[in-house]
Amino acid sequence: MSMQKTEFVVRTIAETCIENEKYFGDLDSVVGDGDFGYSLARGFEKLLEGWDDLDRTDPGTFLKRSGMTIASRIGGTSGPIWGTAFLRAGAAAGSATTLDGEQVVAMLRAAVEGIKARGQSDVGDKTLLDALVPLTDALESNLTNGTDEALRAAAVATREAADATAAMVAKRGRAAYTGERSRGSVDAGAMAVAVLVERISETWQKQGEPT
Amino acid sequence: MKKFVNDPKNYVAEMLEGVALANPDSLRYVPAYNLIMRADAPNENKVSIVQGSGSGHEPAHVMAVGKGMLDAACPGDVFAAPPMDYVYETAKLLSSPKGVLLLVNNYTGDRMAFDMGKEMAEADGVRAEILTINDDVAVQDSTYTVGRRGVAGNFFVIKAVGAASEQGAELDEVIRIGKKVNDVTRTMGVALTACTPPAKGSPLFELGGDEIEFGVGIHGEPGRERRKLKEADAIVDDMLDAVVTDLPYSSGDRVALMINGLGGTPISELYILYRRAHQRLADRGITVGRSYVNEYCTSLDMAGASLTLVRLDDEIEGLLNAPAEAAVRVF
Repeated sequence: MSMQKTEFVVRTIAETCIENEKYFGDLDSVVGDGDFGYSLARGFEKLLEGWDDLDRTDPGTFLKRSGMTIASRIGGTSGPIWGTAFLRAGAAAGSATTLDGEQVVAMLRAAVEGIKARGQSDVGDKTLLDALVPLTDALESNLTNGTDEALRAAAVATREAADATAAMVAKRGRAAYTGERSRGSVDAGAMAVAVLVERISETWQKQGEPT
Repeated sequence: MKKFVNDPKNYVAEMLEGVALANPDSLRYVPAYNLIMRADAPNENKVSIVQGSGSGHEPAHVMAVGKGMLDAACPGDVFAAPPMDYVYETAKLLSSPKGVLLLVNNYTGDRMAFDMGKEMAEADGVRAEILTINDDVAVQDSTYTVGRRGVAGNFFVIKAVGAASEQGAELDEVIRIGKKVNDVTRTMGVALTACTPPAKGSPLFELGGDEIEFGVGIHGEPGRERRKLKEADAIVDDMLDAVVTDLPYSSGDRVALMINGLGGTPISELYILYRRAHQRLADRGITVGRSYVNEYCTSLDMAGASLTLVRLDDEIEGLLNAPAEAAVRVF
């Protein structure tokens, strides 16, 4: 993944979160406090406002600088959680100027570990981890089929995993206070991850540029 | 709800500007990070004491900045944890060879912002540690929450670590003292009315004319249960029972007793509560060694009060008794 592709992925995430402000907020209002969509949208707007000034020395630095803004400008607990993911992914990228599929998988694994530590949460707690881990697994096992196919497989697996969070009881985040009442609705963070990887997969193919 | 407000978005910034203008010799204001700091901080011979928390709890915490108390406070917006970069930048500005102690009231958002800010500051060579405050007995610990909240009892932790750091104690020692005070401090709050955040403009929740929220948090979060309004003495008895049985405090103990106003209750009513609490403690064989009756940690304009006990020993009492000087003089 080149610097250009890294920019494309981060920008797609930001724009998709801004476009889906209401949808993500509605998902969160079922059992959470409904501020998820608003928090993400306002924070990613700030990221885009400072877009041209972000340090583009290499993909890792770019991700770390983005992570700082995300951690600081997204309100509530989503900022530190999402910001940590970007910071850890950026750190795992080191100073490499291009990243192969295995490096991207390692960056996603680092992001997962960062989220676990920051949120003191794990797979099965009904959080975004329940989408991000299946995403990473699917990406890894389909790397040999090329980037387009790996992304497509990851998008399908992530959507299935996000849908499956409906059967879970929330153990972390604001939704946890509702306990059993959280069963029956999908986790907003997990569904956001599914929407993001679907969008990245679609637009990546349209761009048609190899990594 | 009538309020003294201009643009609600500028509520915190305008308040901080006022604090800075009122204390030109002793405080410095850094608008970018909602930061109020002692003008003489950082001091290389002293551990820097920093608190974040949200705004809306004044005089906590920006008005508790001063000699023998906090070196700095970087609050978030009303009832919101400070963003991570406030913590990061504040820790860097307050960096001292003896270290920076970050006091965190126990809420998910505050913990995450401080954990992250500390990590980033450490990567820049700042020596920093976190001390979590969780004195509220209204919330029981559980698997699903981050546990008890930090409420008005944080004043005692601030006072004790502030005094210890002023006396030159090392970071480990300051942390030991802070944990010790937190471990013997318990608080229970009661709301008579909801509060009105300036940006919302209407009360956070509805409370009937004859109802009280028992075990309310300092952001208007619900507490243990909604009860019928009773006479003041009966309400104090319930608060005291919840606090005394929690640690528990027992006959022969010497305590500090705080009756803290939540923002919309007259001081006269606080003394009515204090009177009963003091007498009931005496009935239980518990001696009040130090008394605090005022507003220390509020919820904007919420009518209500909290009751805090601290079990005293010579060390804690000495630190609470040590001189201090802050923008709000409540000693």
